[in-house]
Amino acid sequence: MRTEELIGRLAGDLRPVRRMASPGWQAAAWLGFAVASIGVAVALHGIRHDLPSRMALPYEVGQWLASLAVGVTAALSAAMLARPDRSWRWALVPMVPLLFWLGTLGWGCLADFARLGEGALQPRTSWRCLGFVVSLGLPLTAVLLVLLRHAGPVRPVPVLLLAGLASAALCSAGLSLFHELDAALEVLIWHGGSVVIVALLGRMVGWPLLRRPPAVPG
Amino acid sequence: MAVPEGEWEGLMAAAQAGDARAYDALLRAILPLLRGVARRRIADPTEAEDAVQDALLTIHQLRATYDPGRPIRPWLVAIVDRRAVDRLRRRGRHAARETPLDELGETLAGPATNAGEKGVEAAQLRAAVAELPPSQRTALALAKLQDLPLAEASARSGLSVGALKVATHRAVKALRRRLGVKE
Repeated sequence: MRTEELIGRLAGDLRPVRRMASPGWQAAAWLGFAVASIGVAVALHGIRHDLPSRMALPYEVGQWLASLAVGVTAALSAAMLARPDRSWRWALVPMVPLLFWLGTLGWGCLADFARLGEGALQPRTSWRCLGFVVSLGLPLTAVLLVLLRHAGPVRPVPVLLLAGLASAALCSAGLSLFHELDAALEVLIWHGGSVVIVALLGRMVGWPLLRRPPAVPG
Repeated sequence: MAVPEGEWEGLMAAAQAGDARAYDALLRAILPLLRGVARRRIADPTEAEDAVQDALLTIHQLRATYDPGRPIRPWLVAIVDRRAVDRLRRRGRHAARETPLDELGETLAGPATNAGEKGVEAAQLRAAVAELPPSQRTALALAKLQDLPLAEASARSGLSVGALKVATHRAVKALRRRLGVKE
Protein backbone atom coordinates (compact mmCIF):
# COMPACT_ATOMS: atom_id res chain seq x y z
CA MET A 1 0.00 0.00 0.00
CA ARG A 2 1.28 3.48 -0.82
CA THR A 3 1.77 5.88 2.07
CA GLU A 4 -0.63 8.47 0.62
CA GLU A 5 -3.29 5.77 0.31
CA LEU A 6 -2.76 4.80 3.96
CA ILE A 7 -3.22 8.45 4.99
CA GLY A 8 -6.53 8.52 3.09
CA ARG A 9 -7.69 5.41 4.94
CA LEU A 10 -6.63 6.75 8.35
CA ALA A 11 -8.43 10.05 7.74
CA GLY A 12 -11.49 8.14 6.49
CA ASP A 13 -11.44 6.02 9.67
CA LEU A 14 -11.16 9.07 11.97
CA ARG A 15 -13.44 9.14 15.01
CA PRO A 16 -13.41 11.91 17.63
CA VAL A 17 -11.34 10.93 20.68
CA ARG A 18 -11.50 12.16 24.25
CA ARG A 19 -8.14 13.71 25.06
CA MET A 20 -6.33 11.70 27.70
CA ALA A 21 -5.82 13.25 31.15
CA SER A 22 -2.33 14.63 31.82
CA PRO A 23 0.25 12.14 33.15
CA GLY A 24 0.26 13.95 36.51
CA TRP A 25 -3.50 13.43 36.88
CA GLN A 26 -3.24 9.79 35.81
CA ALA A 27 -0.53 9.14 38.40
CA ALA A 28 -2.55 11.00 41.09
CA ALA A 29 -5.71 9.02 40.29
CA TRP A 30 -3.89 5.71 40.50
CA LEU A 31 -2.07 6.74 43.71
CA GLY A 32 -5.42 7.62 45.31
CA PHE A 33 -6.82 4.22 44.35
CA ALA A 34 -3.68 2.38 45.50
CA VAL A 35 -3.50 4.16 48.87
CA ALA A 36 -7.20 3.47 49.49
CA SER A 37 -6.82 -0.26 48.62
CA ILE A 38 -3.71 -0.66 50.75
CA GLY A 39 -5.37 1.32 53.56
CA VAL A 40 -8.29 -1.13 53.60
CA ALA A 41 -5.90 -4.12 53.59
CA VAL A 42 -3.88 -2.62 56.47
CA ALA A 43 -7.06 -1.88 58.45
CA LEU A 44 -8.18 -5.50 57.98
CA HIS A 45 -4.85 -6.79 59.31
CA GLY A 46 -4.81 -4.34 62.24
CA ILE A 47 -2.04 -1.80 62.85
CA ARG A 48 0.93 -3.08 64.84
CA HIS A 49 0.67 -2.26 68.53
CA ASP A 50 4.09 -0.58 68.79
CA LEU A 51 3.64 1.68 65.74
CA PRO A 52 3.83 5.02 67.67
CA SER A 53 7.13 4.06 69.30
CA ARG A 54 8.55 2.76 65.98
CA MET A 55 7.57 5.96 64.22
CA ALA A 56 9.43 7.97 66.87
CA LEU A 57 12.71 6.48 65.56
CA PRO A 58 14.19 8.69 62.81
CA TYR A 59 15.68 5.66 61.05
CA GLU A 60 12.31 3.90 60.86
CA VAL A 61 10.49 7.03 59.69
CA GLY A 62 13.16 7.72 57.04
CA GLN A 63 12.90 4.18 55.72
CA TRP A 64 9.10 4.29 55.63
CA LEU A 65 9.00 7.68 53.90
CA ALA A 66 11.60 6.47 51.39
CA SER A 67 9.44 3.47 50.40
CA LEU A 68 6.44 5.78 50.06
CA ALA A 69 8.48 8.20 47.92
CA VAL A 70 9.58 5.32 45.67
CA GLY A 71 5.92 4.41 45.09
CA VAL A 72 4.84 7.98 44.31
CA THR A 73 7.78 8.87 42.05
CA ALA A 74 7.70 5.53 40.20
CA ALA A 75 3.98 6.00 39.41
CA LEU A 76 4.59 9.53 38.15
CA SER A 77 7.63 8.44 36.17
CA ALA A 78 5.68 5.54 34.55
CA ALA A 79 2.86 7.94 33.54
CA MET A 80 5.39 10.39 32.06
CA LEU A 81 7.36 7.74 30.14
CA ALA A 82 4.13 6.38 28.67
CA ARG A 83 3.92 9.59 26.59
CA PRO A 84 6.17 9.64 23.52
CA ASP A 85 7.37 13.24 23.94
CA ARG A 86 8.43 13.11 27.61
CA SER A 87 12.10 12.81 28.44
CA TRP A 88 13.57 9.39 29.33
CA ARG A 89 15.17 11.19 32.30
CA TRP A 90 11.89 10.74 34.16
CA ALA A 91 13.08 7.16 34.66
CA LEU A 92 15.84 8.50 36.92
CA VAL A 93 13.48 10.28 39.34
CA PRO A 94 12.44 7.20 41.37
CA MET A 95 16.06 6.05 41.51
CA VAL A 96 16.87 8.76 44.10
CA PRO A 97 14.41 7.56 46.79
CA LEU A 98 15.07 3.94 45.76
CA LEU A 99 18.80 4.31 46.47
CA PHE A 100 18.00 6.08 49.73
CA TRP A 101 15.60 3.27 50.72
CA LEU A 102 18.12 0.54 49.92
CA GLY A 103 20.80 2.63 51.66
CA THR A 104 18.80 2.90 54.90
CA LEU A 105 18.12 -0.85 54.81
CA GLY A 106 21.79 -1.63 54.21
CA TRP A 107 22.80 0.74 56.95
CA GLY A 108 20.23 -0.91 59.24
CA CYS A 109 21.78 -4.33 58.54
CA LEU A 110 25.18 -3.03 59.63
CA ALA A 111 23.69 -1.39 62.75
CA ASP A 112 21.91 -4.65 63.68
CA PHE A 113 25.13 -6.58 63.17
CA ALA A 114 27.02 -4.15 65.45
CA ARG A 115 24.29 -4.44 68.10
CA LEU A 116 23.40 -8.12 67.96
CA GLY A 117 26.42 -9.77 66.37
CA GLU A 118 25.98 -12.74 64.07
CA GLY A 119 22.41 -13.34 65.23
CA ALA A 120 21.36 -10.36 63.12
CA LEU A 121 22.52 -12.17 60.00
CA GLN A 122 20.19 -15.15 60.39
CA PRO A 123 16.93 -13.89 58.95
CA ARG A 124 13.63 -15.64 59.66
CA THR A 125 11.45 -16.57 56.75
CA SER A 126 8.39 -14.40 56.30
CA TRP A 127 6.14 -15.73 53.56
CA ARG A 128 3.38 -13.45 54.87
CA CYS A 129 5.36 -10.39 53.71
CA LEU A 130 5.82 -11.84 50.27
CA GLY A 131 2.19 -12.94 50.08
CA PHE A 132 0.88 -9.49 51.02
CA VAL A 133 3.08 -7.52 48.60
CA VAL A 134 2.55 -9.94 45.68
CA SER A 135 -1.21 -10.50 46.14
CA LEU A 136 -1.97 -6.79 46.45
CA GLY A 137 0.91 -5.48 44.31
CA LEU A 138 0.06 -7.47 41.16
CA PRO A 139 -3.56 -6.28 40.84
CA LEU A 140 -2.42 -2.69 41.50
CA THR A 141 0.26 -3.08 38.81
CA ALA A 142 -2.39 -4.37 36.40
CA VAL A 143 -4.64 -1.37 37.11
CA LEU A 144 -1.77 1.06 36.44
CA LEU A 145 -0.84 -0.76 33.22
CA VAL A 146 -4.43 -0.63 31.96
CA LEU A 147 -4.37 3.11 32.67
CA LEU A 148 -1.03 3.47 30.84
CA ARG A 149 -1.60 0.94 28.03
CA HIS A 150 -0.84 3.63 25.44
CA ALA A 151 2.84 3.12 26.43
CA GLY A 152 2.87 -0.13 24.42
CA PRO A 153 3.92 1.25 21.03
CA VAL A 154 6.46 3.64 22.55
CA ARG A 155 8.30 2.61 25.72
CA PRO A 156 6.76 -0.59 27.06
CA VAL A 157 9.61 -2.03 29.13
CA PRO A 158 10.44 0.92 31.45
CA VAL A 159 6.72 1.54 32.03
CA LEU A 160 6.12 -2.14 32.89
CA LEU A 161 9.00 -2.19 35.38
CA LEU A 162 8.15 1.18 36.95
CA ALA A 163 4.47 0.22 37.37
CA GLY A 164 5.53 -2.91 39.27
CA LEU A 165 8.01 -0.90 41.35
CA ALA A 166 5.37 1.72 42.24
CA SER A 167 2.82 -0.88 43.35
CA ALA A 168 5.27 -3.01 45.30
CA ALA A 169 6.91 -0.05 47.09
CA LEU A 170 3.51 1.25 48.26
CA CYS A 171 2.49 -2.24 49.41
CA SER A 172 5.76 -2.51 51.29
CA ALA A 173 5.05 0.83 53.03
CA GLY A 174 1.59 -0.49 53.95
CA LEU A 175 3.06 -3.75 55.20
CA SER A 176 5.39 -1.86 57.58
CA LEU A 177 2.31 -0.49 59.37
CA PHE A 178 1.03 -3.86 60.58
CA HIS A 179 3.72 -6.46 60.20
CA GLU A 180 6.22 -6.79 63.01
CA LEU A 181 9.42 -7.32 61.13
CA ASP A 182 12.21 -5.37 62.76
CA ALA A 183 15.58 -6.77 61.68
CA ALA A 184 16.83 -4.71 58.75
CA LEU A 185 18.14 -7.78 56.92
CA GLU A 186 14.70 -9.39 57.09
CA VAL A 187 13.08 -6.24 55.78
CA LEU A 188 15.68 -6.03 53.01
CA ILE A 189 15.17 -9.65 51.96
CA TRP A 190 11.39 -9.92 52.27
CA HIS A 191 10.27 -6.41 51.35
CA GLY A 192 13.05 -5.85 48.78
CA GLY A 193 12.61 -9.37 47.37
CA SER A 194 8.85 -8.89 47.03
CA VAL A 195 9.39 -5.61 45.18
CA VAL A 196 11.71 -7.30 42.69
CA ILE A 197 9.29 -10.21 42.21
CA VAL A 198 6.31 -7.89 41.60
CA ALA A 199 8.31 -5.76 39.15
CA LEU A 200 9.40 -8.86 37.18
CA LEU A 201 5.97 -10.55 37.28
CA GLY A 202 4.39 -7.25 36.23
CA ARG A 203 6.72 -7.15 33.25
CA MET A 204 5.80 -10.71 32.23
CA VAL A 205 2.06 -10.38 32.82
CA GLY A 206 1.78 -6.88 31.38
CA TRP A 207 3.75 -7.53 28.20
CA PRO A 208 0.86 -8.96 26.13
CA LEU A 209 -1.34 -6.09 27.30
CA LEU A 210 1.04 -3.41 26.00
CA ARG A 211 2.22 -5.15 22.82
CA ARG A 212 -0.96 -5.02 20.79
CA PRO A 213 -0.10 -3.96 17.22
CA PRO A 214 -2.06 -1.03 15.78
CA ALA A 215 -4.91 -2.14 13.52
CA VAL A 216 -5.04 -1.05 9.88
CA PRO A 217 -8.41 0.51 9.13
CA GLY A 218 -10.03 -1.44 6.28
CA MET B 1 9.73 24.53 4.35
CA ALA B 2 8.86 26.71 7.35
CA VAL B 3 5.64 25.79 9.12
CA PRO B 4 3.74 28.60 10.90
CA GLU B 5 4.06 28.07 14.62
CA GLY B 6 1.16 26.15 16.14
CA GLU B 7 -0.30 25.09 12.76
CA TRP B 8 0.31 21.35 13.18
CA GLU B 9 -0.77 21.53 16.82
CA GLY B 10 -4.04 23.19 15.76
CA LEU B 11 -4.64 20.57 13.06
CA MET B 12 -4.09 17.75 15.56
CA ALA B 13 -6.46 19.35 18.09
CA ALA B 14 -9.09 19.54 15.33
CA ALA B 15 -8.37 15.90 14.39
CA GLN B 16 -8.91 14.85 18.01
CA ALA B 17 -12.34 16.48 17.78
CA GLY B 18 -13.07 14.39 14.66
CA ASP B 19 -12.17 16.78 11.79
CA ALA B 20 -11.07 14.34 9.07
CA ARG B 21 -9.98 17.07 6.67
CA ALA B 22 -7.63 18.62 9.24
CA TYR B 23 -6.28 15.16 9.99
CA ASP B 24 -5.65 14.40 6.32
CA ALA B 25 -3.88 17.76 5.92
CA LEU B 26 -1.76 17.17 9.03
CA LEU B 27 -0.64 13.66 8.03
CA ARG B 28 0.36 14.88 4.56
CA ALA B 29 2.16 17.91 6.00
CA ILE B 30 4.22 15.86 8.46
CA LEU B 31 5.30 13.23 5.86
CA PRO B 32 8.60 14.99 4.99
CA LEU B 33 9.49 15.17 8.70
CA LEU B 34 8.64 11.47 9.25
CA ARG B 35 10.57 10.42 6.11
CA GLY B 36 13.58 12.51 7.17
CA VAL B 37 13.77 10.84 10.59
CA ALA B 38 13.21 7.33 9.16
CA ARG B 39 15.88 7.76 6.43
CA ARG B 40 18.42 8.95 8.99
CA ARG B 41 17.96 5.63 10.79
CA ILE B 42 17.43 3.28 7.81
CA ALA B 43 19.48 3.39 4.61
CA ASP B 44 17.14 1.19 2.52
CA PRO B 45 14.40 3.55 1.15
CA THR B 46 11.69 0.84 0.98
CA GLU B 47 12.32 -0.22 4.56
CA ALA B 48 12.36 3.44 5.67
CA GLU B 49 8.99 4.01 3.96
CA ASP B 50 7.59 0.96 5.80
CA ALA B 51 8.75 2.56 9.07
CA VAL B 52 6.95 5.79 8.07
CA GLN B 53 3.74 3.79 7.53
CA ASP B 54 4.19 2.07 10.90
CA ALA B 55 4.62 5.52 12.46
CA LEU B 56 1.39 6.78 10.83
CA LEU B 57 -0.50 3.82 12.33
CA THR B 58 0.98 4.53 15.76
CA ILE B 59 0.12 8.24 15.49
CA HIS B 60 -3.45 7.19 14.65
CA GLN B 61 -3.55 4.77 17.57
CA LEU B 62 -2.10 7.26 20.10
CA ARG B 63 -3.81 10.46 18.91
CA ALA B 64 -5.75 10.76 22.18
CA THR B 65 -2.48 11.00 24.14
CA TYR B 66 -1.33 14.19 22.38
CA ASP B 67 -1.68 17.33 24.52
CA PRO B 68 -2.27 20.37 22.22
CA GLY B 69 -0.66 22.58 24.85
CA ARG B 70 2.71 21.03 24.00
CA PRO B 71 4.70 21.21 20.73
CA ILE B 72 3.82 18.29 18.43
CA ARG B 73 7.23 17.84 16.77
CA PRO B 74 8.94 15.97 19.66
CA TRP B 75 5.84 13.75 19.92
CA LEU B 76 5.99 12.87 16.19
CA VAL B 77 9.77 12.44 16.10
CA ALA B 78 9.72 10.10 19.12
CA ILE B 79 7.06 7.90 17.46
CA VAL B 80 8.71 7.61 14.03
CA ASP B 81 12.13 7.06 15.62
CA ARG B 82 10.72 4.20 17.73
CA ARG B 83 9.10 2.56 14.66
CA ALA B 84 12.35 2.88 12.67
CA VAL B 85 14.34 1.24 15.47
CA ASP B 86 11.73 -1.56 15.63
CA ARG B 87 12.13 -2.15 11.87
CA LEU B 88 15.92 -2.28 12.18
CA ARG B 89 15.70 -4.79 15.03
CA ARG B 90 13.25 -6.99 13.17
CA ARG B 91 15.45 -6.92 10.07
CA GLY B 92 18.48 -7.82 12.20
CA ARG B 93 16.64 -10.88 13.53
CA HIS B 94 15.58 -11.96 10.00
CA ALA B 95 19.11 -11.48 8.63
CA ALA B 96 20.49 -13.77 11.33
CA ARG B 97 18.24 -16.61 10.07
CA GLU B 98 18.78 -16.12 6.34
CA THR B 99 21.64 -17.06 3.98
CA PRO B 100 22.23 -14.74 1.00
CA LEU B 101 21.69 -16.68 -2.22
CA ASP B 102 24.61 -15.14 -4.08
CA GLU B 103 27.07 -16.79 -1.76
CA LEU B 104 26.17 -20.26 -3.04
CA GLY B 105 28.88 -21.53 -5.37
CA GLU B 106 28.32 -21.85 -9.10
CA THR B 107 30.30 -24.39 -11.11
CA LEU B 108 29.43 -23.04 -14.53
CA ALA B 109 28.30 -19.62 -15.67
CA GLY B 110 25.15 -20.83 -17.50
CA PRO B 111 22.24 -21.11 -15.08
CA ALA B 112 20.73 -24.09 -16.95
CA THR B 113 23.86 -26.22 -16.47
CA ASN B 114 23.85 -25.62 -12.74
CA ALA B 115 20.17 -26.41 -12.50
CA GLY B 116 20.81 -29.68 -14.33
CA GLU B 117 23.57 -30.66 -11.97
CA LYS B 118 21.37 -29.81 -9.01
CA GLY B 119 18.59 -31.91 -10.54
CA VAL B 120 20.86 -34.96 -10.78
CA GLU B 121 22.07 -34.43 -7.22
CA ALA B 122 18.49 -34.09 -6.00
CA ALA B 123 17.43 -37.29 -7.78
CA GLN B 124 20.38 -39.20 -6.26
CA LEU B 125 19.55 -37.85 -2.82
CA ARG B 126 15.86 -38.77 -3.16
CA ALA B 127 16.79 -42.30 -4.21
CA ALA B 128 19.19 -42.61 -1.28
CA VAL B 129 16.59 -41.37 1.18
CA ALA B 130 13.98 -43.76 -0.25
CA GLU B 131 16.26 -46.68 0.56
CA LEU B 132 16.50 -45.80 4.25
CA PRO B 133 14.44 -47.81 6.76
CA PRO B 134 11.10 -46.05 7.58
CA SER B 135 12.10 -44.99 11.12
CA GLN B 136 15.32 -43.34 9.84
CA ARG B 137 13.40 -41.66 7.03
CA THR B 138 10.83 -40.22 9.45
CA ALA B 139 13.53 -39.07 11.88
CA LEU B 140 15.46 -37.34 9.08
CA ALA B 141 12.34 -35.63 7.72
CA LEU B 142 11.22 -34.28 11.06
CA ALA B 143 14.49 -33.43 12.77
CA LYS B 144 16.60 -32.29 9.82
CA LEU B 145 14.42 -31.31 6.86
CA GLN B 146 11.55 -29.71 8.80
CA ASP B 147 14.00 -28.63 11.49
CA LEU B 148 11.55 -29.32 14.33
CA PRO B 149 12.70 -29.23 17.96
CA LEU B 150 13.47 -32.78 19.19
CA ALA B 151 10.54 -32.79 21.64
CA GLU B 152 8.06 -31.94 18.89
CA ALA B 153 9.59 -34.38 16.40
CA SER B 154 9.34 -37.04 19.09
CA ALA B 155 5.66 -36.25 19.72
CA ARG B 156 4.84 -36.44 16.00
CA SER B 157 6.78 -39.59 15.18
CA GLY B 158 6.00 -41.54 18.33
CA LEU B 159 9.74 -42.25 18.74
CA SER B 160 11.50 -41.33 21.99
CA VAL B 161 13.97 -38.41 21.86
CA GLY B 162 16.86 -40.88 22.28
CA ALA B 163 15.61 -43.16 19.49
CA LEU B 164 15.09 -40.13 17.29
CA LYS B 165 18.68 -38.96 17.81
CA VAL B 166 20.07 -42.41 17.05
CA ALA B 167 17.86 -42.81 13.94
CA THR B 168 18.82 -39.36 12.60
CA HIS B 169 22.51 -40.05 13.16
CA ARG B 170 22.28 -43.43 11.38
CA ALA B 171 20.28 -41.93 8.52
CA VAL B 172 22.89 -39.21 7.91
CA LYS B 173 25.68 -41.78 8.10
CA ALA B 174 23.92 -44.07 5.61
CA LEU B 175 23.33 -41.18 3.19
CA ARG B 176 26.99 -40.14 3.38
CA ARG B 177 28.08 -43.69 2.60
CA ARG B 178 25.61 -43.98 -0.25
CA LEU B 179 26.56 -40.63 -1.82
CA GLY B 180 30.28 -41.30 -1.43
CA VAL B 181 31.03 -38.54 1.12
CA LYS B 182 34.06 -39.31 3.26
CA GLU B 183 33.52 -39.31 7.05
